[in-house]
Amino acid sequence: MMRVFVEGIGLLGPGLENWSAGREILAGRADYLPQPTQMRVCDMLPAAERRRAGVPIKLALAVGLEALQQAGRETGTAATVFTSSGGDNDNVHAINTILATAPREVSPTRFHNSVHNAAAGYWCIAAGSREPSTSLCAHDASFAAGLLESAVQVAVDRAVVALIAYDHPYPQPLHAVRPITAAFGLALLLTPERSETSLAMLELDWQPGPVTETMMQEPALEALRLGVPVARGLPVLAALAGSAATQVDLAYLTDSHLRVRVSPC
Amino acid sequence: MALDQQELELAKLIVSALNLDVAAAEIEPDAPLYGEGLGLDSIDILELSLAISKTYGVQIKSDSADNTKIFSSLRSLNQHIQQHSAS
Repeated sequence: MMRVFVEGIGLLGPGLENWSAGREILAGRADYLPQPTQMRVCDMLPAAERRRAGVPIKLALAVGLEALQQAGRETGTAATVFTSSGGDNDNVHAINTILATAPREVSPTRFHNSVHNAAAGYWCIAAGSREPSTSLCAHDASFAAGLLESAVQVAVDRAVVALIAYDHPYPQPLHAVRPITAAFGLALLLTPERSETSLAMLELDWQPGPVTETMMQEPALEALRLGVPVARGLPVLAALAGSAATQVDLAYLTDSHLRVRVSPC
Repeated sequence: MALDQQELELAKLIVSALNLDVAAAEIEPDAPLYGEGLGLDSIDILELSLAISKTYGVQIKSDSADNTKIFSSLRSLNQHIQQHSAS
């Protein structure tokens, strides 16, 4: 079992403007009204990077920044774990379009953005960070993989880690084969020790065998959980929004799962 | 100093290709494109070379010894394009 503490939370999704507003919805104190994700202005990037970074990258940076700011920590002080099923899906679509059309000359900026750790690169520039950074993808288990990796780094390295999970819809025709229904991001700033600003304690166990995943009670939020790979983390956020200790089960890769006990501080 | 029509077209291409937050007509024709001035970097120059190739059919090779001069300003870049697209 691994134990970590949550010091900051970032959230941006359809009808979920930020953690402050989203917490009320996830705790059942406000109605959930789905509407297209309203992107926040990303002013942490220098001008050259701001005009090159796509929406999925800015989504990742926005929730990461929110979590760090809530924790009252400098952006450059945390290690980072980025996780996303598809990364910058707009960029994938654009490159595929170029490669399908003569003379197949790929834009250098598109190529520059094509790596899965592009978000990590932009973050390190924007945050002035030289801390370790990991970028993961694990299909529909991308959130669980990111949370597990973050918890390992916190528990083993005693590191302060920002978990930044984000996903963005593919344009057609890829959307038809890998439907992601909305732009959605969440971030958790995790620490090895309890502090005055700790919001909750997470106790995590990786366990073999399948599991019945914890679902969202609100049907529209459950649709969001199933519609966006990293929104599988919504039940963890719902537990963080509540006031009682809660157990959350997340499906991991084949025949294994992650059990998370969330205890508000 | 005002841009002539060809320079204005090129300025629009630069703004569009590089997603610049500046009006095309406000680009100084003799100001440096790289570094100070318009503030472009090496990736921008590669991107711009591709856009010029697609738009004007003028290839600017990355290993050309004349690149510093070609990209020294909007005016010099336009002159290079006009000379080579006419030939």
